[in-house]
Amino acid sequence: MNNAQKRLMIAGYGGLPFGEVSQCKPGNIGVLGVPSEARNGARMGASLAPDALRRMTGQLGTDLPINGRDLGNLDLSGDWSDALTQLVTQMLDHDVSTVVLGGASDVALAVLHAIPDLPVVAAMPIARGDVAARQVSTIWVGLNGEQPADVWDQISQRKMDWRTARQLDEGHAGSLAVPGRAVLWIDMSVIDLGYAAGVVGLNPAGMKPETLVSVIGAMPCSWQAIVITGLAPTRDTRGMAELAAIETLNAALRNG
Amino acid sequence: MGDSAHIQFDMIPSFLGVPVGDLEDLTNGQIAIIGYFCDNLDQPAAGQRYLARQLRYASRPGRAPAGAIDLGDVNVFPLEPDKHFSAVIAQCGAVLETGARIVLVGGDSSGLKALGGAAQLITGENVSVVSISESIASNISDDQPIVLSVDLQKLAGKWMSHPRRLTGLSPATMIANIHTTPGSVIAAAVFGLAPALDNRGSMETRAALAILQAVTERLEKGAP
Repeated sequence: MNNAQKRLMIAGYGGLPFGEVSQCKPGNIGVLGVPSEARNGARMGASLAPDALRRMTGQLGTDLPINGRDLGNLDLSGDWSDALTQLVTQMLDHDVSTVVLGGASDVALAVLHAIPDLPVVAAMPIARGDVAARQVSTIWVGLNGEQPADVWDQISQRKMDWRTARQLDEGHAGSLAVPGRAVLWIDMSVIDLGYAAGVVGLNPAGMKPETLVSVIGAMPCSWQAIVITGLAPTRDTRGMAELAAIETLNAALRNG
Repeated sequence: MGDSAHIQFDMIPSFLGVPVGDLEDLTNGQIAIIGYFCDNLDQPAAGQRYLARQLRYASRPGRAPAGAIDLGDVNVFPLEPDKHFSAVIAQCGAVLETGARIVLVGGDSSGLKALGGAAQLITGENVSVVSISESIASNISDDQPIVLSVDLQKLAGKWMSHPRRLTGLSPATMIANIHTTPGSVIAAAVFGLAPALDNRGSMETRAALAILQAVTERLEKGAP
């Protein structure tokens, strides 16, 4: 984050002070904004999400259940993907959990690259092949619509656990096999556009925001990293999508 | 010229379209609806003070109990808290002394505090402040005087133009709770909403109006 941006804001995400990784203590979180933009697609605006989330937590007076530092936004001018991977590795080495505010989905892929041996809980409407191909099985939350056949074959053959958006909205999350330690990736497009319009993807019949909060909040998991992607705040003038992201993140941090 | 034009230009906007009056017009059993223009003293949030004005402008006649009257706004001193509370308590007390019941509309929760103080002062009893959004207190009898607290911040985010929380009550649940909360309601405060002053706020304004109407109906009945 450059100094001008730092000066613009008094406090970081959820009232956390701005700082460096070295200032984080073991057990803390480090919040990092990575304002990347999707290369294609009609619904742009994910790059505005990190600062919009900081601003909204400031307006709401959101308190986080855990201490840490806001590390600002990653400079995207160079090879930011490698830099992000290194930063996440560095934080995990110091027992600092990473919270990454994207950005587009490439942000999450860089984070997952840094943690190849942990399972992923992926909240997204369409299962991704690159995530399904990871060595450790993924738990899929909020699937909706037609899934790619090759990815679905992998999910079936490796007996990965999954729930559709409809199942979760109807309260069938109870028996999800959630690991003790994992990475959480929330693609905000998992939410139904009708409830929260500020998302990159179009997902009719997706999850309700409050279902996402309660499902993630009910997972007794120690999250080593949490990544939020696909939030396009300017597409939702009421701020429901930002609110859903903030409440989901808080629910995850309360447990993890 | 249609009805809507008449309503806009021929009448002074009042809560639920009730007649506008003064303290001298009040009689025993009437319902005085009063605006509260102060949002910086207790759970402050700028904009809550405009709720009374918004509800007056959005109101249409014919939906309030016959004995209801719009008494205007209480005088407030937001920058002098001590003077403010004693003045609001005195004004609410003067209304309650006539035997009328009060609905205080708008502002932050400081209005509720002052109203509770006034009710206690006038009745000489330990008047409970009962929130409609918490579990209904079963130890309150139907003849015990209470002040009803209707905090519109407890509405779920989907009803608001600027949501602050995802989960919460629906307007229908609030209205049901208003009608079923035990106790004899002698006063009520409807507060906590900073309405959007444009078309975006029409949903929350309509919800708040329906809630205000339910509160006046409950005040007319007293007990559930």
